[in-house]
Amino acid sequence: MLNLNKRIVSLSLGLGLMVLSSVMTPVFAETVTHKIEAVNLTAQAEYLKGDADKPAILIVHGFLTTNQFHTVVSMAQGFEEEGYSVLTPTLTLGINMRQQSVKCNSIHTHTLENDVLEVEGWVKWLETQGKKEIIVIGHSSGSHEILAMLQKKTTPNVKLAIFTSLFYLSGPELGTLQHEIDFAKQALADNNLKPHKYSFLFCKNDYYATPQSFLSYHKLTREYVLKEVKNLTIPHYTIMGGADKRYQSVGQNWLNELEQTGTQLIIIEGANHFFSSEHEFDLQEKLVNIVNNHQDSK
Amino acid sequence: MRYKINVTQPIKFYFAFFLSLGVGVLTIMTWSFYSEGKHIQHTVENQTQQAAQKELSEAITNTVLIIQKELTDISEWDEVHQQFHDPSYYFFWHDERLIESSYYRPYYNALELYKKDRKLLTGASPGKDIILHTTMPDGLEQLQQQILVELSPTQKAQLIIYHPIYQRDAPDILGYVGVALDLKTALLTMNQFFYLDKASIDFTGNKTISIDELLPQIQYQPISNPVNTYLWALIEQFIIEMIIALAVSSLVLLFIFNQLIRSPLLVLSKSLHQLKASPQVDHLPPIQPFLIKEYEELKHAIHDYHSQLHSAQLELDQQNLLVWEQARRDALTNVYNRRAFDEAWGEIITSFKNSELPTPTAFVLFDCDFFKALNDTYGHEVGDEVIRLSASRIQSSLPIECPPYRIGGDEFAVIIQHRDMEDIRKICQHTLNELSEISFVKLGVKEKLSFSVGISSIAQEKEDSISRLPRQADIAMYKAKQTVQTKIQSYNQRLEDESSVFVSNQTINTIVNSVLTGENIQMHFQPIVSISNSSCYFEALIRIKGEDGLIYPDKIFTLVERRRLEVELDYQVIQATLKAIESGQLPDKTGLSINISGKTLIQPELVDLFEPFVKWLETYKIVIEITETILIDHMDYAQNVLNKLREKGFLIALDDFGSGYSSIRYLAHMPVDIIKFDMTMTKALNSDEKTKQIIMTTAKMVRHAGFDLVMEGVETQEMFDQAKAAGATHLQGYLLGKPNADFVSPSTKYC
Repeated sequence: MLNLNKRIVSLSLGLGLMVLSSVMTPVFAETVTHKIEAVNLTAQAEYLKGDADKPAILIVHGFLTTNQFHTVVSMAQGFEEEGYSVLTPTLTLGINMRQQSVKCNSIHTHTLENDVLEVEGWVKWLETQGKKEIIVIGHSSGSHEILAMLQKKTTPNVKLAIFTSLFYLSGPELGTLQHEIDFAKQALADNNLKPHKYSFLFCKNDYYATPQSFLSYHKLTREYVLKEVKNLTIPHYTIMGGADKRYQSVGQNWLNELEQTGTQLIIIEGANHFFSSEHEFDLQEKLVNIVNNHQDSK
Repeated sequence: MRYKINVTQPIKFYFAFFLSLGVGVLTIMTWSFYSEGKHIQHTVENQTQQAAQKELSEAITNTVLIIQKELTDISEWDEVHQQFHDPSYYFFWHDERLIESSYYRPYYNALELYKKDRKLLTGASPGKDIILHTTMPDGLEQLQQQILVELSPTQKAQLIIYHPIYQRDAPDILGYVGVALDLKTALLTMNQFFYLDKASIDFTGNKTISIDELLPQIQYQPISNPVNTYLWALIEQFIIEMIIALAVSSLVLLFIFNQLIRSPLLVLSKSLHQLKASPQVDHLPPIQPFLIKEYEELKHAIHDYHSQLHSAQLELDQQNLLVWEQARRDALTNVYNRRAFDEAWGEIITSFKNSELPTPTAFVLFDCDFFKALNDTYGHEVGDEVIRLSASRIQSSLPIECPPYRIGGDEFAVIIQHRDMEDIRKICQHTLNELSEISFVKLGVKEKLSFSVGISSIAQEKEDSISRLPRQADIAMYKAKQTVQTKIQSYNQRLEDESSVFVSNQTINTIVNSVLTGENIQMHFQPIVSISNSSCYFEALIRIKGEDGLIYPDKIFTLVERRRLEVELDYQVIQATLKAIESGQLPDKTGLSINISGKTLIQPELVDLFEPFVKWLETYKIVIEITETILIDHMDYAQNVLNKLREKGFLIALDDFGSGYSSIRYLAHMPVDIIKFDMTMTKALNSDEKTKQIIMTTAKMVRHAGFDLVMEGVETQEMFDQAKAAGATHLQGYLLGKPNADFVSPSTKYC
C-alpha cells in the first residue's frame, strides 16, 4: 500500500511538471563544455534545453566572434521561444574555453578544418544528449564550417541546414591579395610557420596568422562555396539580408548564383549582414518557419 | 603707602597716552591676526601634508588594485590561455601581439607568463635565441610576496606583481602572469592627485621591498596651495599695508590733532598764562587763526573778556587811585593829608633802615603862628581860607619831589631827601618868603601872618634813628615860634634840652615808655549817669603811674602832642580799656566811653582795633568819644569810619561840642549818637540869661535832633538841676562821681 501511494504521488508530480512545462516557455540555459579531442581543446557552448520531441538547433557564429554575438543570440532566442533545444557553441579557434572574440592582430593558428572538427564534436555531443535530429544554422562564416562539415557527411543526424549571410571568403573583389597567398604558401613550403600580418576580410594588414591558418580559409572561394552548396544532400535554406553590404564587393548576382545551387533562398529586405535591429525578428520568424515547416513536412 | 595719582596732565600726555593705547591695541590686534593667519597657514599646510600622505597611500593601494584587476583580465584573456595551450608562437605573441593589445599598459616595463611550475613560459621561437628577460625573473621559486617594489638610485622604481592564472574548466592554476611596471608612471596615470605635487614624487632606496614598506620610501611634496600661499601673501601684504596705513594715519592724526586741538590749546594756554602773569597789561589775542570755530570764539572771548576786565580794572584802578588820592588829600587844601604823610614817612623809615647807605633825609615842619587866635578872631571859614592859600603857596614853593603834608590844623610837614642843609634852608626860606607875599586882606585879616619852620635831619645829627626826626623838627619849630626873626630853626640837642624843661626827664621817660609799651598805665573811670533810669556808664581816663605818683593827662597830653604819640597813646588806652572789660570788673548793665584822638580816628586800622569789643556789645554800652574838630576836619572819612563802628553796635559821642566852629548844617549829618557839653557850657547855664538861653536852646536842638546829651562838670546840686532842666539825658561830674581806678557806682541818690 505504501509503495503504491509513493508511485501515485510520483506520477502525479511528474504529470504536474509536464503540464507545467507545457504551458510555460522554457528554458534554462546552461553553459556546457566539451573537450574536442581532435584539437585537444575544451570548448564551451550555451545549451538551451527545449522539448525533447523537437530537433535540436545548433547555431554556429561568424568569423572570430563568439556565441554571444547578437545575431546568434537572437536566433537562439527565436527557437527557444518555440521550445526547441538550442546549442550555440563558441569555436575555440585554438584557445581553450574561448570566451572573447578574436582580434585581427591576435595570433591566428586556427584552421577551417579544426573549426569543422569542433562543429562535428558538438553535433556528436547533441547526439549524446539524445538528439536524433539536429538542425544546423550558421551565420556568415559559421555557414562555411557547416558547409565544410556537411561535405564530409559524418553527421547523419543533421537533417536541415540553414545558412545566413552566406558569402565566400576569398577573392580579389574581397580584397584578397594574391601575393599574400603566395607568401603564405611559400612560408608553408619553407616551414616558416611564424605568424605574419595579412589582410583578410575586415582585417586589413593586421590579420596576424600562421600561414596554414591563413591559407585554410582562403580556399573558400566563390566557386568553392557555390559548389559546396550544390553538393548538399539535405534540405537547406539560405537567408540573406537584402541590405547586406557584402553585395558591394561580391555583387547582387551572388544571390542568383546561390539560388541556382538549389538552396531555398530567402531575402529579408532591408536587413544587413547581421540582421540587426528589427530584422532580427524577421530572421527569427523565417528561421522558425523554416524549421516548423520542416517539422510539419515530415 | 598710598600714592595719589595726579590726573591733571598736559594735553600731550593724554594724547600720547591714548594714541599709544590705540596703537598698542591695533598692534596687538594686527599681531593676533598675523599669528592666527600664520597658524591657519601652518594648519592648512599640515593638513595638506596629511592629505597628501593619505592620498599617496590610497593611490598606491588603488594602483595595486588596478594592476591586479588588469592582471586578472590578462589572466582571463583568451590569448593568454592560448599561449599556455600552445606556446609555439609565444615570442611573437609576447613581443608584438601583447604589446599591441590593450592589455599591455604604457606603464608596463615587462610582462611575462610563467608556467604553473613558476618557470617562464618560453616557447621555442623558430630561428631565434631565447631572449633573457632581464626585468622579470626567470622563475618564481619563492612567491611569498606577490607584490614587490624594486628601488634603485639609477633606475626608475618598479612595481612587480604576480597573479595566478587558473584553468577555465578546473580550479587548478594554469600558470602565472607577472608584470613589472614603472611605479611612478602607474601612480600618476591611475590616480588623480589633489594634495600631492605629482612632479615631486620620487623614490629612495636601493633594495626590493614589499608594498607595505613602500610609503616611507617615497619622497613627495604636498601641492602648493595657491590659495593658501597667495592668500597668505595677501594677508602679509595686507598686514604690512595696514601697519603702514596705521603709521601714516597716526602721523596724519597726530598732525591734525596738533593743528586743530593741541596747538590752539597751547596757544590759548600760553595766552592765559600771559594774561595771568601780566594782568595789568592789555594783551592782544594770538594772531594765528584757529581752524576750529569754537577755539576761535574761545580765543576772542577770552581776550575780549580780559580786555573788558582790564578796562574795568583800569577804571577801577583809576577809581581806586582817585579814592586813594582823595583819601590822601586834605579836603580843605588838596595837599596830602595825615594818612599820606604816615604812609610816606613809614616807607622812608623802612627804606632808611634797610639800606646800607642811608639817604640824607630832612624833616621840615611849617606852622602858622597864632592860627588858633586867628580862627577865634575871624572865624572858621576865614581860618580855612588862610590855610588853603598857605597850603597852595607852600606847595608851589617847594620842589615838586617834596610835596607838603597837612598833618595838623595849621601844620604842614615836608620830607626833603638828597639835599644838604644849605639847600634845605634855602628852600625853607624861599617858601617863607612866598608865604609872606600872600595878602589876606581880602579875607578881612588885617594882621600879618607869619610861619615858623622847624628842620631836623638825619645826616646832620648823625643819628641812626630816623623816627625821631618829626619830634626833633617839632622841637625846632617850637623854638622858631618863640622867636621873631629866626623863623627857621634847625634841631640841635640844646633845643631838646630846652623843651624838656617843662617836664622832668624821668616823667618824660615814664610817659614815653608807657605810651610805647603800655606799662604803668592806670585807667580811671568816671561815671556818666542817666537821668531817666539812673543807669550809668564810665568814661575811661588815662593816668600813668610815675615814681612820684600818678601822672595826669595835662602832662601826658602835652608830651604826647609834642612827641606826636597820639596814636600810640590811644592804642594803649584801648588795650587797657579792653583789659578792664575782660577782667570782669565792669559792672553789669553799664558801659564804657573811650576817647580817641583825631589822628587815631583816621588810622586805617581803627575799626580793627575795636573788633575785640564787639562781643561785649551785647553786655555793655561802649561809646567812642571824638572831638568836634576831628569830625569837621575829616568829615567824609570820619563819617565812613564812624558809621562802620555804629553798624557794629558802638555809640559815638561828640566831645567838647561847641569848642569848635561847627556849623548847624553839620549837626544833622554827624554820625554820632551822643553830644557832650564840656564844663564851660554846663557852667554857662548859671551865667547871664542870654548865655543860658543860648545853651538851653542848643541843648534843646541837640535833643530834638535825636542825640543824647551829656553835660560834663556837674559839681553841685544846682548845676545838676540846671543841667536836668536844660534837657540833658546824662550828667557827669564830681557830684556824681570822681574818676577812680575802680568802677565805683555813682551816688545812689542820683541813680
